[in-house]
Amino acid sequence: MAIIIDENTETIVQGITGTNAQLHTKFMLDYGTRIVGGVTPGKGGQVVHGVPVYDTVKECLAHHPNAKVSSIWVPARFTRDAILESIDAGIQIVIVIPEGIPIHDMLFVRKKAKEKGVVVIGGNTPGVISPGRALLGMLPKIAFKRGRIGTVARSGAITYYIANSLNLEGLGESTSVGLGGDPILGSNFEDVLKMFEEDPDTDAVVLAGEIGGVYEELAAEFIKTMKKPVIGFITGRVAPQGKRLGHAGAIIEGELGTAQSKITALKSSGVLIAETLSEIPVLVKKALKYFNSNL
Amino acid sequence: MRLYEYEGKMLFKEFGIPVPQSVLIGDPRELDKVIYPAVLKAQVFIGKRGKAGAIKIVNSRQEAELEIKNLLGRVIAGYEVKSVLIEEKIDIEKELYLSAIIDRKLHKPLILASSEGGMEIEEVAKSNPDAITKHYFEVGEYPEGWTGRWIARAIGVPSSLISKASSIINKMYKLFLDYECKLVEINPLAITKDGNLVALDSKVDLDEDAMYRHPELKKLGISARHEVGELTEREKLAKKAGVPYVDLDGDIGVFPGGAGFGIASIDLIKHFGGNPANFMDSGGAPTQERLRLMIDLLMKNPRVKVIFGARFGGISRCDDWARAICQYIMENKPEKPMIMRMAGNMEQEGRKIFEKYRREEPELFKNIKIYKFDTPIEEVIKEAIKIAFSS
Repeated sequence: MAIIIDENTETIVQGITGTNAQLHTKFMLDYGTRIVGGVTPGKGGQVVHGVPVYDTVKECLAHHPNAKVSSIWVPARFTRDAILESIDAGIQIVIVIPEGIPIHDMLFVRKKAKEKGVVVIGGNTPGVISPGRALLGMLPKIAFKRGRIGTVARSGAITYYIANSLNLEGLGESTSVGLGGDPILGSNFEDVLKMFEEDPDTDAVVLAGEIGGVYEELAAEFIKTMKKPVIGFITGRVAPQGKRLGHAGAIIEGELGTAQSKITALKSSGVLIAETLSEIPVLVKKALKYFNSNL
Repeated sequence: MRLYEYEGKMLFKEFGIPVPQSVLIGDPRELDKVIYPAVLKAQVFIGKRGKAGAIKIVNSRQEAELEIKNLLGRVIAGYEVKSVLIEEKIDIEKELYLSAIIDRKLHKPLILASSEGGMEIEEVAKSNPDAITKHYFEVGEYPEGWTGRWIARAIGVPSSLISKASSIINKMYKLFLDYECKLVEINPLAITKDGNLVALDSKVDLDEDAMYRHPELKKLGISARHEVGELTEREKLAKKAGVPYVDLDGDIGVFPGGAGFGIASIDLIKHFGGNPANFMDSGGAPTQERLRLMIDLLMKNPRVKVIFGARFGGISRCDDWARAICQYIMENKPEKPMIMRMAGNMEQEGRKIFEKYRREEPELFKNIKIYKFDTPIEEVIKEAIKIAFSS
């Protein structure tokens, strides 16, 4: 099973003719991801690594009606347009790679996606990987191993380091999801947690948050209702006020977005909080042991 | 990205929101235009400026000159005063509160209004929540005439001022949408003794990622900076090269991969008892120039005693990373030790580059350590901390 993508999921790539998109289209195809079409306005008729390119998403889907997932690789200023085009054409899951998408653009995208029941992941996500099955995005495959732990994180590199820490201790991932580093995201943590909760291939979830916004606090509400254990890792404990730390979303604004507020909220929902990366697999094992003995 | 009060008021004027007559002081000759008594307001990004000594009332030009001299260059709550706004003194009957903001939980914009202006809205929310009125909008929706009138009535604006207040409320919301703001706040909006409405303060927070759509801001002299406050010299240098960089006050230079690990590494350094000198973000697939500039910023920072580096090669390749480091070392012959870990895409190629240079110039590379995949990142951090302590 896994969530969002597996070896049978048909996907398309928007902005496929860009330099990075071409390179990662190759990596994704090599990994076994089924990419059936690409879209770049004005480049219809070209072929990228054997993938046919169309001018519009609608044309692409007319030729590949089973494609359900799109990954977006266009510059931030064209991202709103690209997502809305996908939503209108009938794509069900949109993975948004670009970073620094204007806040008001993403507010509008969220509204449209909700109206149509479409899942939008990102912006500024490294993508999604179901190890050994399929990879959508730019995640390095060597960081991941197939297993039964779901991971969801706002940062790309943290996604890799978490998988790396799990793998070094003999654990692996069912699916790893990059939620995204932008301030307004297409999906909340709980949207992904819900999928993991229902996924028979996932036993526990690692959630990694960082300073800025209230997504971790919102997740804490949902975690109270979950049966599967959740392990948390929150970064930015020593971050300064009012300064953006790389990710557009990683900023403490007044009392909003501190690491402490997130840790407190998650702890009150029963989440085990890891202080370091190497503590994550230790807590996962501890939680699984406790969880299994209480079945 | 916070604007200074005077910048926010420029935008208010543009949208027809009434503000006091004012002069911005960089040059004392500007004082010729001022009518006394007047209010001097140091332009710094803090609340409660009155209590912090950043606001003074002056009755003569002589007094104004003296106070301006005192204020300019002073540091108030960590911010250096670079300019002072002088405004006509307004006789206030009552103070109201207005803002347009995004509800981060509901992902919807709203207007917040209160009959208790002049204090921070968070305090009113605690002490007298009934004094606050909220009106939510659909994303992209502009206010109708009635929304402004309704909000004005809800916060107790008298009938005689309803039209004026409603127009200010709706103009504020239009400014919020048109400039794609994160926040527009008028606190206080004063009802004057002579029965007018004036925005006495401004707080505008722009979305830096949307600024490319508003080139007119640059013409007004509004350019990118920290969310609150100005950039340090090193931060300016980094910004010019497109590298997100923040100065911290420790002695361990952090040369990470992306932002997420950059944030985690300053936490981990603190966790194990060290002090990071900076935050930094290489971005995805950085160029050689960018990587060399990142190292240079740390090498030239006199506080930095040791550099901690990490590359988990994904979209950014290990060989590119290794090449930039080696070339920097060959060209600049730095003495500061570098303690690093490298794993991921093109790792073998990266190691070969290091070994080649190390063979050629063993003396230059004697303080350069690069760990592999099998050493947990925490161990690498601990070693950097040890070096910082002992040097």
